[in-house]
Amino acid sequence: METFVIEIAALLGLYMAWNIGANDVANSMADAVGSKSISVTQAVVLAGICEFAGAVLAGAPVTDTVRKGIVDPNTFLTLTGLTHPQAAALFVIGMTSALLAAAIWLNVASIMGMPVSTTHSIVGAVAGFGIVAAGWQSVQWHKMAMIVASWFVSPIAGGFMAYLLFKFINHSILGRDRPTRAAIKYAPYLVSAVTATVVLATIYKGLKHIIGNVKWFTPEVSVIITVALSIATGMMSRFLIRRRLEGKDTLPVGEQLEMVEQVFVPIVIITSCSVAFAHGANDVANAIGPLAGIVKVIQSGTVVHKVGVPFWVLALGGAGIVMGLATFGYKVMQTVGTDITEITPSRGVAADLAATATVLICTRLKLPISTTHTLVGAILGIGLARGLGGINKSVTNKIFGAWFITVPVAAVLCMFLFLTGKMYFFDYLTAICTK
Amino acid sequence: MSIISELFGKSPFGPLVEHTKKVHECVELIKPLMEALSHENYIEIRELHNRVSKLEYEADKIKHDVRGQLPRRLFLPVDRIDLENFLRCQDKIADYTEDFSVILTIRNTKIHPNLIDKFFKLVDQIFQVTGTLLTAAVELQNLAEVSFSGAEARRILKWLDGLGEEEWKADRIARDLSRDIYKLEHEVDTLTIIFYEKMIRTLGQIANEAENAGDMLRGMLVR
Repeated sequence: METFVIEIAALLGLYMAWNIGANDVANSMADAVGSKSISVTQAVVLAGICEFAGAVLAGAPVTDTVRKGIVDPNTFLTLTGLTHPQAAALFVIGMTSALLAAAIWLNVASIMGMPVSTTHSIVGAVAGFGIVAAGWQSVQWHKMAMIVASWFVSPIAGGFMAYLLFKFINHSILGRDRPTRAAIKYAPYLVSAVTATVVLATIYKGLKHIIGNVKWFTPEVSVIITVALSIATGMMSRFLIRRRLEGKDTLPVGEQLEMVEQVFVPIVIITSCSVAFAHGANDVANAIGPLAGIVKVIQSGTVVHKVGVPFWVLALGGAGIVMGLATFGYKVMQTVGTDITEITPSRGVAADLAATATVLICTRLKLPISTTHTLVGAILGIGLARGLGGINKSVTNKIFGAWFITVPVAAVLCMFLFLTGKMYFFDYLTAICTK
Repeated sequence: MSIISELFGKSPFGPLVEHTKKVHECVELIKPLMEALSHENYIEIRELHNRVSKLEYEADKIKHDVRGQLPRRLFLPVDRIDLENFLRCQDKIADYTEDFSVILTIRNTKIHPNLIDKFFKLVDQIFQVTGTLLTAAVELQNLAEVSFSGAEARRILKWLDGLGEEEWKADRIARDLSRDIYKLEHEVDTLTIIFYEKMIRTLGQIANEAENAGDMLRGMLVR
């Protein structure tokens, strides 16, 4: 009986992970594919590797049983008239409903072409479950407010950062009389900045769970590592760029610009990979967090705050994401790769770097922000800096619409699923949870 | 569907440059037309007229393509009005070129030997004006690369300054030519003089529109 429930939950977790892969993952590689730095197939393979590595290596080994702590698990235990097994049964039904509701909503959104945050979906669903199961006061509204704030913070911060970055690239390199000479001089600084951001993002966002257990890995050590690596890559890139661009400054400006853009190709691949890695590390939790919670509660028969995530659950999440990428994300990438001719590697670097840095800073400030929305904001920022041939304004309206409806829709869907589930499975699960 | 792929609209600058090139192909036929006229080869003129007509039609098609890529919801790096006006000026250049070829076909006019040199001078000068515009406009793609600023933009602004001067030179030649034409009023019949005037006016309009197009280009750069 116990394993049967776990199997069902695992299937739902896989479905959710599949949706994350189908909906979100293509975006992380968009800049690299869009600038024709890599082919669609290469992007799918790279994204698959980075996402899976992010999910399995750096995905949370310990997770909140309730995503982002949006509902306090204690309220279930203190609900009057509920025994521990009953509370556990309620919790299992709720989390299963939340997983299913979020996954269905993501699936519908993918089909309708709406840009939906996976985090927002699961958080909305959990909040919906909290409201019907334990009342309004069970939802941590200040955390909800933070999420609402992130709707505005992530695109604006990403856009601002990308605007500045692109202005810098344009002013110091592309807009110069001799772009190749300027690139030899300034591009290494950019490489250093990219290294610093990628390393810090990997340490704090990607590997934070692993590093937390390593004693010598203090913040000071990570700063030293970051600085050392940045200087090293900066110097190395200066050598490599000089070898490629030295003496080319007599060519026509158009040709020089093309050569300079080629220099940005490896950089945009690296930044895209780091976006994919960070995405895998963070968003896999949206699928496996609730799953791990269900498994733990079913096995122990009571509601707990934090649970360890078994390796098989992490691998399941990673596999689901890769499956989503291979089945659906592939098409999305093809659209990006064949229809977009406007983005160049230098723009891709500016957008990716801005997005990664914004996500990094906001995570340090404990603001929940969406990777996809930050990236969209970053691309709009480059558009504002006159860096893109044309940007579809109606997309911004679409994004806003999707933001506003995701949380309520996921919540209502989850309420419905929870009430139905409670009607049919409450006694069955209470029996399982009675130890 | 991915939101990122939807975010990017098609850039209008590629087709815009195509349009400029096509328009210039029309203008390139003015000189052969003039040569055919000076040799009084009216069959050749008719053939050239057909070619101009065809090119003008092709340019129109590209124009519609560009217009089709400029929906209101597209957020552009340049002023939309400037871009549309630029397109309109280019379109008029092609139209006036076609008008010129039409003028030559509707009547078998002869060019007075005294005028031939100056007519060719005028035609060459017009070609100079549109050529300068073409060079500047072809750089649009490079400009998009550097987001319409920096050294590349300054270089093109300089060319555009030159455009105004070339147009002024064309005007002066046209006035000079007009004077020469009216000196012949007792030798040549009135209808022929009217035809000469029509030719000069059309050529002048081509230069004018080229200058206007240059102004629009400048507007895009210095937004």
